Amino acid sequence: MWPKTLLTFLCLLMIAGAIHFDPSRARSLLASGARDGPRLRLLTWNIGYAAFEADSRAHTKDLKAVAETILNNDPDAVALQELTGPDQLKVLLTNLHDRYRGVIAPAGSSDRVEAVLVKVRDARFESFAADGKYGVAATFHFSDQSPEIVLASAHADAFKAARRRVFTGEVVDWARNRPRGSIVFVAGDFNFELKAKDESHLYTDNVKNDSEAYSYALKYFRDLAREAGDTAVDDRRIDYIFGPKESVALRRAEVLRNAGVGKMDHWPVLVEVGL
Amino acid sequence: MFTQLKLESQKLIRSRSFLLSFCSLAIFVALMLWGFYSYAERKAGEQVTSQFKYTYESKSYFNGLTFALYSVMFSFSLLIPIFVAMVGGAQIAGERQTGTLRMICVRPISRISLILSKFLVVAGYTYLLVAFFIGLNLLVGLCFVGWGDLQLYPGALNLVDEPGKLLRDEALQRFAYASLTGTWALLVIAAIAMLFSVLFESASTATIATLALYLMFLIIGRVEFFENLRPYFFTTDMDFWRDVFKPEVPWDSFRHYGSICGAYIFGVLLLGVVIFDRKDITS
Repeated sequence: MWPKTLLTFLCLLMIAGAIHFDPSRARSLLASGARDGPRLRLLTWNIGYAAFEADSRAHTKDLKAVAETILNNDPDAVALQELTGPDQLKVLLTNLHDRYRGVIAPAGSSDRVEAVLVKVRDARFESFAADGKYGVAATFHFSDQSPEIVLASAHADAFKAARRRVFTGEVVDWARNRPRGSIVFVAGDFNFELKAKDESHLYTDNVKNDSEAYSYALKYFRDLAREAGDTAVDDRRIDYIFGPKESVALRRAEVLRNAGVGKMDHWPVLVEVGL
Repeated sequence: MFTQLKLESQKLIRSRSFLLSFCSLAIFVALMLWGFYSYAERKAGEQVTSQFKYTYESKSYFNGLTFALYSVMFSFSLLIPIFVAMVGGAQIAGERQTGTLRMICVRPISRISLILSKFLVVAGYTYLLVAFFIGLNLLVGLCFVGWGDLQLYPGALNLVDEPGKLLRDEALQRFAYASLTGTWALLVIAAIAMLFSVLFESASTATIATLALYLMFLIIGRVEFFENLRPYFFTTDMDFWRDVFKPEVPWDSFRHYGSICGAYIFGVLLLGVVIFDRKDITS
């Protein structure tokens, strides 16, 4: 009798396993054509200036060029960093001919804010706190059949790696606790210094903190623009779009290096994924 | 049980189908090698076959690992299942056909032990077959094509969505994993063959019924009209074994489909065990 009981138990265990582990994409079969669902295009851009400028936040005079870059690349959702406040968002949305809706994060104690813009009309917006700073996220449906998509815009501390680590940890925890079934992207300027050769002396543990923060993000997400190259001046790759590991297929990742205007030190990062 | 396992293993090793399956796979590898050489010759001229791996645009793309990957992928769906179905289908029905089943069943071992030991032997055979095939491909790849990293591109294999790479040692490790995942996937066929072996009187009927069922789902799964039915075919779930070759293994998907295969294996085997336990053996 016990072999039958064992086989029944193993069969039920496997069924429970199959229910528990949820595949986010349907199987693609050998020698069958690759299937591609609708394509979602995301862009992140820190539109502030380099730190040595008198005002390193975004400049209103640049917003027309920012809007042009957005319109030319036609992303479905945009994460922006280092705006001065709601006035700049209003100017930007006007320059975008009201094709996007957007909100900014609460300023908190900072003098600059993050923003998120979405093309679809029925988007919901919410802000979230991480290490005393605020980020902002948009939740929307890309099409009628598509799952809920969340894009969060975040900006980590530029000067203290230990703070970046805490901030990243809290943003990642917030993102991975979004409702089951939704596809979450976290985009923004995380300021990670991951090149050990640049930080190889014994008086700082920046590389350690940043690599741990980056590793934590990679534990749950995928760095979608990893192969796209540097995103800021001085050969730095500090702007990221983290996305789900399995449920989307990366179709394009590009740093738009001709898009910078004024004394901006970052370039926009554009990512296109198949849902 | 151990004596039974030993006896069943000896029986399998002495059977012609055992040797036939290994020889056929060796011939397949030779044909694959010839096919790749002639393809390169046709595409790039006769002089290039002396430096086969340099006939591609990317000098590091084609190597022994790429050869092994293509060979394993293409044979897995159509060639290896035939041998697994053949051996699995012969287990009970073959004994019945030769008139030895009744004699075995009067020995003081339970029918359940008999069928389970037969299944375990088939599982061991399946692993040997897959491991032999992968090992042979790697060996032939190493000797005739050369070593290197395994570069993956979206294309005929439909394995990855974007270009990726596995370093040589990592790729070899993935081939080792593939021998396990491939065996697990093929055990679904083995379990079905065992069930049919219990149900049908002759080994050939059991084998053909298994292959017919497998090929029917495999073909229908690739026809556009039946796209909505595809998730319900066991052949779709069996394809999970290839995921170990992806640079980033999609673990959730891997475990999901692996578990479904497990449910098929144990569920079908249980059914076979129950039927065999109650079956009136008259032959």
